[in-house]
Amino acid sequence: MIQPQTHLNVADNSGARELMCIRIIGASNRRYAHIGDVIVAVIKEAVPNMPLERSEVVRAVIVRTCKELKRDNGMIIRYDDNAAVVIDQEGNPKGTRIFGAIARELRELNFTKIVSLAPEVL
Amino acid sequence: MRLEKCWFCSSTVYPGHGIQYVRNDAKIFRFCRSKCHKNFKMKRNPRKVKWTKAYRRLHGKDMTQDSTFEFERKRNRPERYDRNVTENTLKAIRKIDKIRVVRDERHHKNRMKGKKTKEQREATKELEQSIHMVKAPAALANDPSLTLPIKVKVSQQKSEENRMEE
Repeated sequence: MIQPQTHLNVADNSGARELMCIRIIGASNRRYAHIGDVIVAVIKEAVPNMPLERSEVVRAVIVRTCKELKRDNGMIIRYDDNAAVVIDQEGNPKGTRIFGAIARELRELNFTKIVSLAPEVL
Repeated sequence: MRLEKCWFCSSTVYPGHGIQYVRNDAKIFRFCRSKCHKNFKMKRNPRKVKWTKAYRRLHGKDMTQDSTFEFERKRNRPERYDRNVTENTLKAIRKIDKIRVVRDERHHKNRMKGKKTKEQREATKELEQSIHMVKAPAALANDPSLTLPIKVKVSQQKSEENRMEE
């Protein structure tokens, strides 16, 4: 359950360290974003000497949430933190590596690049 | 579909039941119900919680080493499908289950071996130590201080009332 003002960890090496959600893409008055949703976020904390900087506005896709994710087969999965991967307009990741486990839902949503980079898909 | 074991209580997690928690290092913890999940969130050690399998194993309450457990172990190598093997396995499941139940009962019987004599010994000891608390009925009748005082009062009041009515 990601909504505007939610802080998220960054699960890649794009240069951002922490994001804050400012808008959820998809509908005009959408309240919450879940795994696989694209959000507009602002970089709250960044790694020095990297292309991305603080207070820059980027797009990101959510890959992990603390709120449980329900699958059609009845499985319920909960992750440790809220995390996102910074993407460009086409949906390709800006970084070259992904950290941590990632939900399988991203593959159906055509984030195949992210899924192939991920060390663990659950 | 696989029947997994609960991380906390080691019971079987059936499809559609319980919750999975994925830590950031991609370790999966499966829980059979919210009770186990909550206990995990409270950071309880399953070896110290009495109702879990881990505790019972550790304290010798349950059978730990048995050849029937070998069949239940998780195998990561997928088996090539063979009709005969499947049929034989299905037949064997019932037999193995029966054997395990018998062995379990034997284990329980062995553990309970000295219980009856122990209980009797304790009872005789208690009787010896606190025999002075028991009074014979004849002694109670002679000494009114040993009976409850309320009872005596009620009987007196009743007799008075009866007289007034008469």
